Amino acid sequence: MSTIQRTWKLNGKKVSVRGPAGRRLLDYLREDLDLIGAKEGCGEGECGACTVLIDNEPVASCIVPIGQLADGTEILTIEGVEKKRAGRLLQRAFLECGAVQCGFCIPGMIISAYALLMRNPRPTPRAIRAALAGNLCRCTGYAKIIQAVTLASSRLPVPTKRK
Amino acid sequence: MRPTENINIRFPKNLQEALRLQAKAGTRGQLLAGGTDLMVQWVSGTPPPRRATSVWNLPELCEIEVRDKDILIGAGVTHAFLVDATPIHRHLPALVAAAGTVGAAQIQARGTLGGNVANASPAGDTAPALLVTDGTVLLASLGGIREVPLTQFWTGYRQIDARPDEIIQAFRLPKKGAARERFRKIGTRKAQAISKIMAASRIRVRKGQIVSAAIALGSIAATPVRLTQVEDFLAGKPLTAKLITDAEQLAQKTVQPIADIRSTAEYRRWVTGRLVRDALENL
Repeated sequence: MSTIQRTWKLNGKKVSVRGPAGRRLLDYLREDLDLIGAKEGCGEGECGACTVLIDNEPVASCIVPIGQLADGTEILTIEGVEKKRAGRLLQRAFLECGAVQCGFCIPGMIISAYALLMRNPRPTPRAIRAALAGNLCRCTGYAKIIQAVTLASSRLPVPTKRK
Repeated sequence: MRPTENINIRFPKNLQEALRLQAKAGTRGQLLAGGTDLMVQWVSGTPPPRRATSVWNLPELCEIEVRDKDILIGAGVTHAFLVDATPIHRHLPALVAAAGTVGAAQIQARGTLGGNVANASPAGDTAPALLVTDGTVLLASLGGIREVPLTQFWTGYRQIDARPDEIIQAFRLPKKGAARERFRKIGTRKAQAISKIMAASRIRVRKGQIVSAAIALGSIAATPVRLTQVEDFLAGKPLTAKLITDAEQLAQKTVQPIADIRSTAEYRRWVTGRLVRDALENL
């Protein structure tokens, strides 16, 4: 075993991290930091329930060893995304559209959708499907989830270029 | 405690340091890049190694250099980065398309090109696209760089031509130039599926005549393969409907597909022909 010591920016705040280098990020978030929004579905990087953003990219936290996250890495979990405007818009749209049934996949869905909207505030349904392809839902059939992301996107102001 | 927590993972700062660790560790020096294959294996039953060396984000492995005739792509470049790297899109479109079919966004953000090649799964999505470029693998060791053609790099099921003290540093991939490339992946569903069969092609046609053809398949045998008999048959011939049908039949006759959990040999044989047709009809 090798122990690492790192400083990350987690949900906008500095955190000091200490633990086995091979500890899964998901376990560190849930067990050491009590951030239980990210869920363990498959544990094999397939289902997307454990998705978090690492330096603005969605990743499966169940297969990322904490040792590989260098000092200064920015991590955003569902607990941080819900404090962002686009995150709140997504949450509201998911509720309004009835896009949530059992809810287990939803934190991952919202994270992936949030990452998409940050890159592309007006995605096509096709782009939404592609962005959510790594998030499996066994309840909803996805249609309402796609609707919800579209609705949130329509309420998101697009930054206009100033001359 | 999870099995991966017992691994003594080293984090070298640069390639030189990583190579020294590998030279000392010999066969015990498991390399770990994005972990999208290895972490999954280690949490689901395969005993993890005692030691591993992380090559994730090693600066020398993360470079892309577009040159006159070819492009150098670092082994640590992620699939997501390839998909976003617009300057390479028109030179290596099949590779970019292949990278975009690896898992989904979460896997593309962590999985690396070097990892996909080193893991040497016959179903590795980037392998056929790499093979049709006639490119090479640059293997670094303390002794210097060894360059191996991709067509010779996969030596058997999950076997590559790399010594324990070597690290894949980069790939040197000739640009496609005037040729057309195509990549098709056939799986059970469109997203997040491991392929039943896939094909990449790089074919150059000039004035209705095929100048050169490179066609490669993945998920078809123990290693990714080139359809050399079909390629030789096509070279120099005028592109006609009959030629396409002949090439389709020759591909079905000469391919040696396996049967496994994902598909049957019969299905793979049939689809091989259709994929060759698809490549030739879309030039």
